[in-house]
Amino acid sequence: MGSDALPSTLVLGLSLGPTGLWWTHLLVMVGMYALLGLSLNLINGYGRMFSLGHHGFWALGAYAAGSLVHHAAGSMPGPLLFLASVVLAVGVAALGGLLIGVPCLRLKGDYLAVATLGFGEILRITIQNLPEGLLGANIGLTVPRVLLEKTPETKGLFQAGWAGLMVVAVVLVAWLVRNLVTSARGRTMLAVAQDEVAAGLLGVDPTRSKVAPFVVGAALAGLAGALYAHYQGTIAPQEFTFLEMVKMLLVVVLGGLGSISGCILAAFVLLYVEQVLQLAGQDMLPAGVPPLPASWTWLAEWWSVIYALVLVLLMIFRPHGLLGTRELNDLLRSWRTRRTGRGTGAGA
Amino acid sequence: MSTPLFAIEGVTKRYGGLTAVQGVSIALQAGELVGLIGPNGAGKTTCFNLITGADTVTEGRVLWQGEDVTGLRDWQRARLGMARTFQNIRLWKDMTVRDNVRTVCRAAAQAGWLDGLLRTPRHRRVEAEVGARADELLERLGVASLAALRAGDLPYGPQRKLEIARALALEPRLLLLDEPAAGMTPSEKTDLMQVVQGLRRDHGLTVLVIEHDMRFVMGICERIVVLDHGELIGQGTPDEVRRDPRVVAAYLGSA
Repeated sequence: MGSDALPSTLVLGLSLGPTGLWWTHLLVMVGMYALLGLSLNLINGYGRMFSLGHHGFWALGAYAAGSLVHHAAGSMPGPLLFLASVVLAVGVAALGGLLIGVPCLRLKGDYLAVATLGFGEILRITIQNLPEGLLGANIGLTVPRVLLEKTPETKGLFQAGWAGLMVVAVVLVAWLVRNLVTSARGRTMLAVAQDEVAAGLLGVDPTRSKVAPFVVGAALAGLAGALYAHYQGTIAPQEFTFLEMVKMLLVVVLGGLGSISGCILAAFVLLYVEQVLQLAGQDMLPAGVPPLPASWTWLAEWWSVIYALVLVLLMIFRPHGLLGTRELNDLLRSWRTRRTGRGTGAGA
Repeated sequence: MSTPLFAIEGVTKRYGGLTAVQGVSIALQAGELVGLIGPNGAGKTTCFNLITGADTVTEGRVLWQGEDVTGLRDWQRARLGMARTFQNIRLWKDMTVRDNVRTVCRAAAQAGWLDGLLRTPRHRRVEAEVGARADELLERLGVASLAALRAGDLPYGPQRKLEIARALALEPRLLLLDEPAAGMTPSEKTDLMQVVQGLRRDHGLTVLVIEHDMRFVMGICERIVVLDHGELIGQGTPDEVRRDPRVVAAYLGSA
């Protein structure tokens, strides 16, 4: 059984046609934005701190992992190097979160947003302007494959493997986020978010209760960055722009500021629409991928405008997001009780 | 006389040209139940803010068991053992009733961020301890049946009780109550008087209470401090205060 497992995965991987490749790529990207959304949700949703620098921590993780692998590939076994690069990325992003968080979290609302936005942009522009030999500048940094090979023959296996890895990563991060917000320290974060004055007067150190979740959020964005670098194989500063930040924010707001399942669902909806639109006129969509209605094709050109607009509208009409702090199973439960409630009412 | 548990000495607070509190000194011995009264705008809540560190003093000192704590932040003073409630209720509205209390429980601090994140055995032990303590306090204040509700959804009276339960979770030695009976029905007020007296009797808690309801103040306080226009104009037993001509003048207007 055990010896069969690898070849059968191989066959499965190799047999992925264009449709399978499309779906697995989508799954990886959904996972990526779910990770970014979940970690941002910790800061902007549960913590009610308005950070606009999350793309900076994502880039920090990507470049930390990428540069380690770029320079150290071949010096140790692939999986070990992969693991080391992920640990380094998480550590560097956490450190970045601490250095940015301590001075910035004394600021409130708009000021915090501007300061963190500044960080994200400064980081990107710095990478662009450093000598090419260091982080690749505008040309980008190649990240050799150390976990799964990606050749025309192994492309299916590569894609399937990554899709599986992303599912594991999303489950892990969702578990961590849920753990944090339902723990003793997490409650102090929620308290400070809701009324900082009352929290302080009842013995909660507000600075700590803001900095710690900010650091955890940054570290998890660093994890997403490391996975991104490994999956893409090259990373360039142009991939970590403010537009990505807007996308992450949309995932959080669409899903609900303070909802884990909402975040994952929103990442799926957003990425699905985006990936479908990206293939010109949808003619290139592989069989089995449901296309959007023909009348929607104009969306392709206006996509960036649309999601910024959706964000604005949501902020005005549903400031806590579509799901708010509820989870999907809360909604299911309330539907069910409404139905059974009506049932028993009729019976009695 | 022994060192007071708590004292302010010659405390003054000025906001620009306005003097809210002028050279006020108050000292509380451990176990005392003292009322702080005065007409609206007399500076009572400002005094609370200066005592707890919600606001900084312009002049004067704040002492805790004889030590100067004027330079400490609000949360540092709270951890020394002073807890308060608020005139305009400040619960964490989106949290449950139980979580409002659990957040403040002292035992919660034994588990670090990583304990919670990784669900260590220490996290589980602390959660069990904190949960039991919270339930006990909610029971004591008579709001245990509301534990799972969102705090913001409670009626006014239970919200005030929850504020007291939350303050007690800090295991304070000094409890500062800012108009705890405001908005309560007469029977709720009577309950509350018994609760406050019980706390002092059972736990030796020192209590300083701001309250406009004279039946409440005269009924439970053994000493009353009177402020008017930011100055201390008299103090003594309820009977002494009631007969003090300056106090009468402040309340009724001088003839």
